[in-house]
Amino acid sequence: MSYVIKRATRSHGSTEARRILLKDGPPRLMVAAVLCGLLAIAAPAAAQPAAVSACETCHRGESSAALAAPAHDFSATDVHRDRGFTCVDCHGGDANEADKLKAKAPSTGFRGKPSGQAIVTVCVRCHSDAAFMRKYAPRQRVDQEAEYATSVHGQQLARGDTKVATCVSCHGAHGVRLVSDAQSPVYALNVEATCARCHADPEHMKGYTLPGGVPLPTDQRAKYRTSVHYDAMVRKNDLSAPTCNDCHGNHGAAPPGVGAIANVCGTCHTMFATKFALSTHSEIFDRGCLECHNNHDIAEPTDAMLGAHDTSVCSACHSDGDNGYKAATAMRSGIDKLTGAIARSHALVLSAENSGMEMGDQTLALREATNHLTLARTEMHAFDPAAVDTVLQEGLGITAQVDEAGQAALAEVSFRKTGLAVSLGAILLVVVALWMKTRSLTVNK
Amino acid sequence: MGGITLFLFGVQVATGILLLLYYRPSASEAYESVQFIVSQVEFGWLIRNVHSWSANLLILMVFVHLFSTFFLRSYRKPRELTWITGVLLLFIMLGFGFSGYLLPWNELAFFATKVGTGIAGVIPFAGDYLVRFLRGGDDVTGATLTRFYGIHVAILPAVTTVLLGVHLLLIQRQGMSVPPAVEKREKAGETIPQEPFFPNYVLHDVMWWYVAMAVLAALALFLPWELGRKADAFASVPIGIRPEWYFVAMFQTLKMIPAHVLGLEGEMLGVLGFSLAAALILVVPFLDRATSEGRQHPLVRAAGILAVLFLLVFTIYGYLAE
Repeated sequence: MSYVIKRATRSHGSTEARRILLKDGPPRLMVAAVLCGLLAIAAPAAAQPAAVSACETCHRGESSAALAAPAHDFSATDVHRDRGFTCVDCHGGDANEADKLKAKAPSTGFRGKPSGQAIVTVCVRCHSDAAFMRKYAPRQRVDQEAEYATSVHGQQLARGDTKVATCVSCHGAHGVRLVSDAQSPVYALNVEATCARCHADPEHMKGYTLPGGVPLPTDQRAKYRTSVHYDAMVRKNDLSAPTCNDCHGNHGAAPPGVGAIANVCGTCHTMFATKFALSTHSEIFDRGCLECHNNHDIAEPTDAMLGAHDTSVCSACHSDGDNGYKAATAMRSGIDKLTGAIARSHALVLSAENSGMEMGDQTLALREATNHLTLARTEMHAFDPAAVDTVLQEGLGITAQVDEAGQAALAEVSFRKTGLAVSLGAILLVVVALWMKTRSLTVNK
Repeated sequence: MGGITLFLFGVQVATGILLLLYYRPSASEAYESVQFIVSQVEFGWLIRNVHSWSANLLILMVFVHLFSTFFLRSYRKPRELTWITGVLLLFIMLGFGFSGYLLPWNELAFFATKVGTGIAGVIPFAGDYLVRFLRGGDDVTGATLTRFYGIHVAILPAVTTVLLGVHLLLIQRQGMSVPPAVEKREKAGETIPQEPFFPNYVLHDVMWWYVAMAVLAALALFLPWELGRKADAFASVPIGIRPEWYFVAMFQTLKMIPAHVLGLEGEMLGVLGFSLAAALILVVPFLDRATSEGRQHPLVRAAGILAVLFLLVFTIYGYLAE
């Protein structure tokens, strides 16, 4: 006895239905009816992976790689197949018809290989249907189509440019994996490579320009790979670090507007954005954070960026005598002072610890001083030297206390050594006296 | 040897009582209280460091005392019971070391205790019960600390008092053992010159006690016992975790035994082997019948030499293997 249970889903725009194709007689029809009822009750997400259809059977045997590949790729790892969807759900046709002409007859709704806008249309039939998606992925958003329409990709496509990315360009067509799957092209670690397939290809990007008419650069990936974000994401395996879509959006991918850059950076760097919004620079800087930190090639920030010396970013605009020059000099000098004080205190604490002193409280206090250094570096983004100095003075107060405790600990070590020397001297005298006494007792005997 | 061992035990009692004045036996306070002792209490650092060093020297001296007694065959009749109480005192001292190691509640001690108590789990039938009994639960927690504290400051001292009392009483009643050769000359009618216990022996011992005191003071100052980081059950196990030096030979052996030997669990065989060795050491006076005839059985002597070599080699290997 064998049953072929199929889920005919949304072909021809109909709501989902289930058919049971029976190979045997009426008694089995009753069993099928019961199974049909059970399937109706069961949640769709619990559906079994789809069985191999006639489409796949034929296509796998095709000598043309282009025709055979989709059937091979549409394997069990495909998220759609895993949930019971088959070829006809996207391509139309009749999967049960062995004759390929009949299987692709116009009456079957066969639409072949969609391209351009048709791809989006096929995908959004399900992915924009909240009621339908709830059965498979209740937390998944269903506004991809609307977002895509606002993206540069979507707008270009609407203008008839078929070179731009559609759903399958990033997610793949057959063998689609969940975003959380490490092998998915849109998994956080793979996004930059996926975007770079087009954006790092000068030939592909030829003809695209920035608003000012400048050709769209293709060095974003190379620059991103030198950035602190890439370092955090790939080398430190911090998946919360930003990649392309975190700043540009994914389905609604577009360059952030000039005025929105600080907001984009501020989604993660909240404190810096808040302080920056208070500064005069926020009104002057056209490119917001990018003026000092760049965009794709964001280097790890260091204190060297601040100050009036030649290599600082401040010196690009400020010169000797202006207020910005003075403020930058003052803030850098204060930060250097606390950095140096922490280093000296740390060395003192280490020295005391190496001498056997318990310096746990001082180690903790130094962490607090380091926190103040971080706070000062954050406060600096408001470009107000007085506010930075307040934080720095608190930090210097902590290091002064640590230094005092460190010196006291070293003095205690010295006292202990003196005490030991005196004690050992006394003990040695007693030992010598006892040795002489025991010797005299033996001799007398 | 026994004199210095007794002195070190006295140091342990005295410094232990002083530490009790400030130590707080709970997972949330133990580490901080030890930190307070070494950083805030006047001479607390000295008391804690002397306690730690004295504990290690005590165990070293107990081992030396045991093997010198063994090779001098001092366990021979009529001192069998003195030997037995001495061996039991060695086991008790190891128990003191194991239970005391956890009390500062630092990271190293926490994980070493986890491994150490876990080894008891391989004992057939009673293993799981023993682990829960030692830990006061399924895992090493604050309950284990409280339990170890109770064992360290009440149960073991009580048992030690009894055993040490019997040990000293027997020595007092039976006198110090003399080497077999001297005993033979005595039996042959030769008069062997003897020194009085007081003042000769007492002053001689007191002199060595002073030397031990000087060594302890120097070690306490120049090699203070590190407190490390506070135990954190959720932290990853530190690299190179191993027990105190006196357990390293056993620990290394258990690590080297294959997982399965002749279809039996290797670790279980190791633990049973050590238990058997401990039982054999205890009954050595009754196994070595030849001693009463004035000579040591060559097998017993060979076993003793092998035991010393095993402890030395595997302890050194345990440290080098990391």
